Amino acid sequence: MAKDDGPQSRDPTKALEYKEKGNRCFQSGDFKGAHSFYTQAISYDPTNPAFFTNRATACIKLQDWQIVIDDSVQAIDLQPENMKAFYNLAQAQIALDHPGEALSSAKKAHELCVKEIHSGGKGGSSITVITELVLRCKKEGWEKREKARERGRDGLNKELIELLRRECEKEEKELVTEGRGDEVTDLTREYEIKIEELKSTFEMAKIGNEMERKKKVPDWVVDDITFSVMFDPVVTKTGQSYDRSSIMEHLKRSPTDPLTREPLRVQDLRPNLALKAACEEYLENNGWAVDW
Amino acid sequence: MSFANKRLGKELAKIHGSLPPGITLVTADGFQEWLLDIQVLDANPIYMNKTFRLKFKFSTSYPIEPPEVTFTQQPDRPIPMHPHIYSNGIICLDLLGQQGWSPVQNVESICMSLQSMLTGNTKNERPEGDAAFVASNRRRPRDIDFYYHDNTV
Repeated sequence: MAKDDGPQSRDPTKALEYKEKGNRCFQSGDFKGAHSFYTQAISYDPTNPAFFTNRATACIKLQDWQIVIDDSVQAIDLQPENMKAFYNLAQAQIALDHPGEALSSAKKAHELCVKEIHSGGKGGSSITVITELVLRCKKEGWEKREKARERGRDGLNKELIELLRRECEKEEKELVTEGRGDEVTDLTREYEIKIEELKSTFEMAKIGNEMERKKKVPDWVVDDITFSVMFDPVVTKTGQSYDRSSIMEHLKRSPTDPLTREPLRVQDLRPNLALKAACEEYLENNGWAVDW
Repeated sequence: MSFANKRLGKELAKIHGSLPPGITLVTADGFQEWLLDIQVLDANPIYMNKTFRLKFKFSTSYPIEPPEVTFTQQPDRPIPMHPHIYSNGIICLDLLGQQGWSPVQNVESICMSLQSMLTGNTKNERPEGDAAFVASNRRRPRDIDFYYHDNTV
């Protein structure tokens, strides 16, 4: 919650004046100043979601992530279809290392942005940055899962070595009690070989895993305009798919099909759901491809 | 990294891997300007045993905006004779203009288009009004509205 929710009486006009002052500070790069003017605006009118999203945007610059989250949640409460609030929220969640939550916020922002595109709203122009954010969330989520897998494997490796050592000691003692102490050296060597074998097997698995990442990214996940992995492929009547964000950038400049140069409008684009699902699945296992 | 740099980085990786015959990368320092050499591979007498140097300039909106592509003269790199190529290296090709450009084109495909534009040419001459154009032009190539009057060459 906004900490400066003081006992002031409501005054939406005054609130808007403070918001304007905040915007001016923001534009000149004074994010602290912007933050305090937006706080004033909120204190005069805590019902306007724009004040919260603006303060959150200033706090992204200040890297004050908790305020970004609180203000975004507040803005979404006031206006559930608030694209900018979801976009801000996703950035804070990713900064706080919650890529799963960040991904669902970013996807929601993307969904609202596509709606804006179709209704002609100005939020439609954010499609490129939102798509980039979705892909970043996917990559960071994959990295986190990958690290967990690696830790799991390292742990298993250590555990198995420990078990082999204990078994070795146990058998050594048995040999000694049986009066076969001269066989201890052979036994120790045998176990050392086993442990080395185990270590190199785990090492090979690790190398194999890294090789996997250097594989070529398949053409079907790659957008022909940006050469990046697609998140929301849309298809034109030629049958060629592009990511919605990049074909939108192209259509802004030239309303033509990139392949045939025939007229092409935003409303002619159709989602390619099967390819979208395939791209999602691909990224699930190959998050590295975002930075390829 | 910007939109343009990301894509150029990927194009460069592919170019380092392989390029079609007759096209070689000269320099690609950074993502503003690249130089490539092209040769005509068939026995066209106008271009036999000659190598031509292309200069690519990219804006930060590449590939939404076309790159600026011109031939550039060096002691051993002449400007090719062609009815659509001015003697200062400016090329008149719809693919490189505001109207004809498409973001699915790339450095390699542009080089190949220019290669085939030379291959198919039989006229050992400059565009009409070459001397006057070269003397007076101060505009950047992509801002020039070429009149594509002669589509037979």
